[in-house]
Amino acid sequence: MRPRDESKEKAIREKAIEMIVKEGFDGLSMQKLAKAANVSPATIYLYFKNREDLLNQLYIGIEAAFTEATLKDFDPEMSFEDGLWLQWKNRFAHNIRYPYHIYFMEQFRTSPLINHKDIKENRFKAAMGLFVKNAIKRNELIELPVEIFWSIAYGPLYTLIKFHSGKKSLMGNKFVLTEQKMKQAFDVVVRALRK
Amino acid sequence: MTDVQKTETEILVFKTNISDSGDLGRISSVLRLESRIRKWNLDSSDVDNVLRIESRHLDPHEVIEMIRQSGFMCEELPD
Repeated sequence: MRPRDESKEKAIREKAIEMIVKEGFDGLSMQKLAKAANVSPATIYLYFKNREDLLNQLYIGIEAAFTEATLKDFDPEMSFEDGLWLQWKNRFAHNIRYPYHIYFMEQFRTSPLINHKDIKENRFKAAMGLFVKNAIKRNELIELPVEIFWSIAYGPLYTLIKFHSGKKSLMGNKFVLTEQKMKQAFDVVVRALRK
Repeated sequence: MTDVQKTETEILVFKTNISDSGDLGRISSVLRLESRIRKWNLDSSDVDNVLRIESRHLDPHEVIEMIRQSGFMCEELPD
């Protein structure tokens, strides 16, 4: 058997993510993936033990890439406004680069697959928790249940990203999310969350 | 070749007709005896009932022989 090849593994992963987002988890088999990625089924088994392992590894890989991208230049000690703005910019940039990833994460997290023993929490959650805690301690942020905080702090961003990646937005026009428009929404969000 | 390369794990992939848990029990008692096999699993969700083996210095033909002697079909999946 040929040795592992990282670029080939990456190509297989991205193809699998795309297939799952378009056709759901049931739409993915090793055989279909092999055809779509233009490799033999044996090559896929070189990297993944079985379909379950493939799905878990995809999620773990996506989450690791997301963590690395969003924590770039980020420090939980940052002021709330600076830190949240950096989060918005980092998350938007990452989504433009890997448009299928957020949809895959959503699908995976709402399925029983998320309860698999191979799926563990990572440093991302710890950093974000600390960031919010610091902001509350410095009186920069009102205290809210975590779900409410998340919906207000990040919900608008992800809604705008979805408008941006869709072919048409609300009024039937193509919406392009520029940094200026993102800042416009961000300012409203910060005003709502500020103590 | 360095020692590290020599002991590197190889992955062998086969198409089989091993399907239910009874079949699995039969081949597991055979594969267990082979010390060069480090890990193995069967993907029965796949149409080819893929047998995947992580091993050292094991020739695919030896695996095919072992599986066939247990009464199953086994052929190497081409790369």
